[in-house]
Amino acid sequence: MSQNIVANTAPLTRDELAAQTNTSTVSRIATIAANAFREAVRDRVLYNLVLFVLLLTAGAIFLGELSDGQEAKIIVDLGLSAILLFGVFIAIFVGVGLVQKEIERRTIYAVLSKPIGRGEFLLGKYLGLCLTLLVNVAVMGAGVSLALLYVKRGWDPLIVSIWPAVLLIYLELAILTAVALLFSSFSSPALSALLTFFIFIAGHFSADLKTFAASLGGAAARWFFTGLYYVLPNFSNYSLITPAAHGYTPNAFALIIALLYAILYAGVVLAAGTLIFNQRNFK
Amino acid sequence: MTSKTNPPANFSHSGRTAVFCLAMLLGIVAVVLLARWVDVHPQVPVITSAEEELYVKATTAKRLSLAFNGLAADWYWMRSLQYVGRKALNFQNSNPGQMSLNDLGNLNLRILSPLLRLSTTLDPQFIAPYQYGAMILPTFDSNEAISLLNYGIEHNPDQWRLYQHLGYVYWQRQDFQKSAEIYAAGGKLPNAPGWMSEMGARMTLEAGSREGARQMYQHLYQESNDEFVKQMLLRRLLQVDSFDQRDIIRRVLDAYSSKTGHCPAAWKDVAPVLRLQFRLEANTGAPLDPAGTPYVLVKNGCDVDLDPRSQVPYR
Repeated sequence: MSQNIVANTAPLTRDELAAQTNTSTVSRIATIAANAFREAVRDRVLYNLVLFVLLLTAGAIFLGELSDGQEAKIIVDLGLSAILLFGVFIAIFVGVGLVQKEIERRTIYAVLSKPIGRGEFLLGKYLGLCLTLLVNVAVMGAGVSLALLYVKRGWDPLIVSIWPAVLLIYLELAILTAVALLFSSFSSPALSALLTFFIFIAGHFSADLKTFAASLGGAAARWFFTGLYYVLPNFSNYSLITPAAHGYTPNAFALIIALLYAILYAGVVLAAGTLIFNQRNFK
Repeated sequence: MTSKTNPPANFSHSGRTAVFCLAMLLGIVAVVLLARWVDVHPQVPVITSAEEELYVKATTAKRLSLAFNGLAADWYWMRSLQYVGRKALNFQNSNPGQMSLNDLGNLNLRILSPLLRLSTTLDPQFIAPYQYGAMILPTFDSNEAISLLNYGIEHNPDQWRLYQHLGYVYWQRQDFQKSAEIYAAGGKLPNAPGWMSEMGARMTLEAGSREGARQMYQHLYQESNDEFVKQMLLRRLLQVDSFDQRDIIRRVLDAYSSKTGHCPAAWKDVAPVLRLQFRLEANTGAPLDPAGTPYVLVKNGCDVDLDPRSQVPYR
């Protein structure tokens, strides 16, 4: 794709270039996403899986001695919490570096000189990291199921019933990745990481925010905090780790609502990120 | 020339490496030796986590734990197990032979209740801490056990096991009416076994009967996963068996004194009768209690009692 464009020296408009390369928006986004995924793999992001496996193996072996018959619950709590925690670190630290690294290496000039929209670039990067997280979360989820097989010495309903909770963790990470990309589109990596982490924490406090807003006397303050409650991502809807450890599984409708919320929220955040990214001058 | 000058340089480099390696090795040995010496001769008071104060309120801990409240609950649960285990070991080491699983007041389990509160507030559906608290807390604070179990029932109204434990705590307090009500209420739950309602009825009719106690301990023993708790209940079952045995022995002693006009001077006097129902010690002919320790004659041979060394709880 890129060689064709570079070889063409005639001053063509972006639309003409895009038509000439005969590639659709979807395929351009898919190419960037695949590259982002390869880059994450090259950067050894998936090495965290080794640490996760070690953690679960040690947990499965030693928890029997410490937990007094509660191994399965603790394996689920430990495993799903680790999936979330590792995922949050990847979403934040890899997410904020996705755009920044391209700017530092100056490769962004080469990419954006081609018929690729900034929105496509951002969305491709986002989907690439989401794919990395999907592989990560799926392998970790399988690890938790295997650890359960080991501690229960055979089949246990938890082996299957944890997967809706794993899916919800993934959706939470997808939202957080979008937030990280939004911040990285206009601020430094350190500040972006800090702000994304704040959003992660605030997202888990959002239910308290609503209660706080309701308890306030002044109308303005109440409106402000109610607004904040709706603007911040409501991660409490995705925190099903503890209920999952007791065998609770949400129904299909709840999962669809969670998926819809994640798509909408991530879409809005990425749109805002694109808007800001479009304003940036890389000259 | 080069071959003459280089070897000393190489030698000095490898020599330096060897010196560093040796120094590191000696250093590690010294650190290990020093650590061992400090363990034997502690220079500062040893403060283990068992003596630490809990500075986080349960509700605050729940807020701070974000999505990890289940994991935090597990942590506090394991910590409470370690706390009791460590306290019991320390007591056993400092007071050999005086440890009683049925009276843990001596262990000063000051932060057990807050630990269990933390665990259950972080994860109210976590049943194990309620069950553990129901067995351990009444030995020194039954009000706290009742409060913990009521909190558990409030958050898990369909868990008949919590009713079973609450009924047991009231039964221990000899509040048989309340205990019967709770067993009856638990027996009405969809998954409750039939014996829950039976226990309620038995409690109403027989109050603190020995057979009722035996059944209660047996059910609790079957339901429990905790080895510590199982040991406690096993000893209680031995105690109930021992009460029955002592009643039989007293009847034999009464029969002997009625026949001879005096109480037996030694177990050998009544051994032929006792042999029919008891295992006897070979030398003295003393009947063995359910834990295998010989009973002792008291009140000049007119009554029987447990040997203080017996594993059967005295009270």
